[in-house]
Amino acid sequence: MAGTSQENAPGASREKLLARTFVELADTLVDEFDVADFLRTLVEQSVRLMAVSAAGVVLSDSNGKLRMAAASSERAGVLETLAVEMDDGPCIDCLRSGHPVASADLTVDTERWPRFVAAAATAGFRGAQAVPMRLRRQVIGALTLLNAEPMRLERDEADLLQALADVATIGILQHRAIVRGEVLTEQLQTALNSRVTIEQAKGVVSAQSGDPDMEHAFTALRGYARAHNLRLAELARSIANGSADVAAVITFASKLRP
Amino acid sequence: MADEGSDRLLALLADAGGGPALIRRICELCVSDLAVSGASISVMGGQTVDGSQVLVHTTGLIGVKLEDLQLTVGEGPTVDAYNSSGPVLVADLATEHWRWPAFAPGAAALGVAAVFSFPLQVGAARMGVLDLHRTTTGPLSKRQLTDAFQLVEASTVALLDNVESGHTMGPLLGDMHNGVHQATGIVTVQLGVSIHDALLRIRAHAYSHQLPLNEVGRQIVNRELRLEMED
Repeated sequence: MAGTSQENAPGASREKLLARTFVELADTLVDEFDVADFLRTLVEQSVRLMAVSAAGVVLSDSNGKLRMAAASSERAGVLETLAVEMDDGPCIDCLRSGHPVASADLTVDTERWPRFVAAAATAGFRGAQAVPMRLRRQVIGALTLLNAEPMRLERDEADLLQALADVATIGILQHRAIVRGEVLTEQLQTALNSRVTIEQAKGVVSAQSGDPDMEHAFTALRGYARAHNLRLAELARSIANGSADVAAVITFASKLRP
Repeated sequence: MADEGSDRLLALLADAGGGPALIRRICELCVSDLAVSGASISVMGGQTVDGSQVLVHTTGLIGVKLEDLQLTVGEGPTVDAYNSSGPVLVADLATEHWRWPAFAPGAAALGVAAVFSFPLQVGAARMGVLDLHRTTTGPLSKRQLTDAFQLVEASTVALLDNVESGHTMGPLLGDMHNGVHQATGIVTVQLGVSIHDALLRIRAHAYSHQLPLNEVGRQIVNRELRLEMED
């Protein structure tokens, strides 16, 4: 396992989590399928299963334009956004090559990714491992694990990570093939907009609660959505357009924090 | 970045200036680049379509008539794209009579066979719709759809800029940092305005202080900057 695991799942429960994750990622043939929610599940479960600090997904549209599509934390989202902008980092190389790209210790890879390594250091990450989201020759994105400490995945861990990326890719592609026959572009556009909406809602919660930490705002939104069985994107929309009770979300979150 | 397609389209928009001229150029580009018969951009207000819908530009008379038809019968792709916040892509209108029992036959009578409508929005800030129609059936190709989304982004930015025309186009949605969107939510609360107005104010501040939009977003998120009502 990769160095710093806060919740290193013991064997049996990890197996269960693993099985459940694969089922979740394969189950895309539902009416309310939402790419943004789906990718969030992928990054969050990847963090739990691989016991790393964070994970992110960068997707490529049919023009080859890259976009940060999901991240398990604020800092990871910022870093992956910068990677796309700077055109630098393991996730970018992975997307371009279609092969896994790893850095056990980013501080020794400054020559390879000068700008990414600097940005990663600022964000507090030392290790990175990116695997392609690929079906045959089509690479639609990269799933990247980020760790606060240096990390090196064992062979079977790396295989598991690739399997997660594979099943997620198949899930996305089968959904779009069966539901519409339309290109991924359309879903990515919708996913991008719901990600924007979530950022707006984080701003609303942050300003209303007086807590400038966006990570807290995100945790509050996610916790409230889960507890009330709402889709995060829907909750975010009603908060951003002023139709939801923001105070209820903030109160709910404050009860969860010690 | 491997982005020739969008760069080509944006280059074609570069000398159009801002405001109405840019909106017109985008509609014309839709027709020539996406092989459709007509394109329209409408601006809407409120949470749902309530008649406060204004046709900003259309490339032809059919666009005007489609708009009239939808306002009259209260249904259609423009309405659905706006309300669902997602694109409505109908390659063959004849198969959608169940969906729009009044609009579909009315549009067919105008000779329209396919419609494609895209919401113009930045997150929860919904501004309007870009409508395309074609007199022949068939889906947009993958390439056309990708180009359409680039033109949708350009239209969205053009509508944001419309209030103060003349300056060049700001960053596209995909180039805005999360901080800009978080700042939009913050300003919504601080000034008690809608998410749309908050975004306009942040952009206005960036323009008037000649700062990059992403920098203004960062300052607001870090609470280094607080916009005032008259800003």
